Amino acid sequence: MIKLHNVSKSFSQFQAIKSVFLTIDQGEIHGIIGASGAGKSTLLRHMNLLEIPDEGEVEVNGQKLTSLSSKELRQARKSIGMIFQHFNLVANKTVYENVAVSLEITNFPKKERKNRVLECLQFVGLESSLEKYPAQLSGGQKQRVGIARALANKPQVLLCDEPTSSLDPNTTAEILGVLENINKSLGVTIVIVSHEMEVIKSICNRVTVMEAGEIYDTVLIEPTSIQIIDNSPRYYVEQLTKGGGMDDA
Amino acid sequence: MPELLVQYETEIWTSIGETFVMVGVSILAAILIGLPVGTFLFLCRKGQVLENQFVFSILNLLVNIIRSFPFLLLVVFLIPFTRLVLGTAIGTAAATVPLSIIAIAHYSRLVEQSLLEVPKGVIEAAISMGASIQDIIFKFLYVEARSGFVLGLTTSIISFISYSTIMGVVGGGGIGDFAIRYGYQQFKTELMIYMIIIMVILVQLIQFFGTTVSRMIDKR
Repeated sequence: MIKLHNVSKSFSQFQAIKSVFLTIDQGEIHGIIGASGAGKSTLLRHMNLLEIPDEGEVEVNGQKLTSLSSKELRQARKSIGMIFQHFNLVANKTVYENVAVSLEITNFPKKERKNRVLECLQFVGLESSLEKYPAQLSGGQKQRVGIARALANKPQVLLCDEPTSSLDPNTTAEILGVLENINKSLGVTIVIVSHEMEVIKSICNRVTVMEAGEIYDTVLIEPTSIQIIDNSPRYYVEQLTKGGGMDDA
Repeated sequence: MPELLVQYETEIWTSIGETFVMVGVSILAAILIGLPVGTFLFLCRKGQVLENQFVFSILNLLVNIIRSFPFLLLVVFLIPFTRLVLGTAIGTAAATVPLSIIAIAHYSRLVEQSLLEVPKGVIEAAISMGASIQDIIFKFLYVEARSGFVLGLTTSIISFISYSTIMGVVGGGGIGDFAIRYGYQQFKTELMIYMIIIMVILVQLIQFFGTTVSRMIDKR
């Protein structure tokens, strides 16, 4: 499904990715974890060529992205959805328009656009907020719009760049639930970058651990299922006053 | 109405008309040419989708040079060019040439600045969806930057009015020229003050209108 072959990338003097080989299979939820600066986001951004590798090849859905013309690449990107830590919605467009724009770009048949937008927004549970602007939404709702937008063109792959890192624990669990549902019911292959161990453990089948631009290891795991973390104020106080300090975690 | 205003009514209306022509043409030039130039300036910057150091440097230098001219000198300097384009360098029509050139340079810079305020992530999202350059510009950049464009244009129009007041040097006429010739050179200070009041009202109206519109279309 996704193949990185000997991919390297430098930013001026700094080598962000060092000859990485990685294969991600169809239907996987694949995690990429590592410390800040380990190159996990950069690696993910190679999978739709938001970063162009200095060396090596990137193959997605059987297409070698690195040897496509810019027009073919745009076409290929339509089947690779992406969501972001900071959502990256168009602030001057409504929820509806934010999703619709991805269909306008791909020349999705005009008559079916409205239905498709509503379908996607229903899938993420936002069908009642069509006319709202992003500024009127919570973080979790914004990410749902991001997900609906990424799903609109029926992608085969969904790239998630720290999708829950600016969300609270409860909302994180909700969003992970949506992602899991996309993988199970739509069969979309998901790659998720996160520095949060809990996120990776709860949803991924296979995890790549990165260190200083290299793959340290790739391990198979048994997803622990998503825990709805209690974020009532009482729980916070309990956790804070329980004693034992850092070791407790 | 004060007697002086009645006495010079025809001249005053003519001069207001000339100002409107000069400023109107400047606004058109700013929108039709300044907006694309500003967009190019932005897109050719390092790290942007059309990154092109050469084009950026040329445009950037050109805009800077035009804007660093004291405007009176630019008008005089451009006389041969104006004559080449219009066959004459004198009159209201001729005055629109240097005004349009400064308008393009002025507004393109403000457009570039508004575009720089669009979060980089929004452009990345557009690219990841398979957007073409045209899509990125019209469906993302211009949508996000639109209130900045309106505020920038408001500021620009007010500058254009100010620039237009010196167009008397090439026979361009206008409110400023009228105020100088009648109010100042013929010692009718009262008349000059009336002209200033007209300008103040005009600028207030434009600023109010611009601020209101930009607020209305800003959903950020």
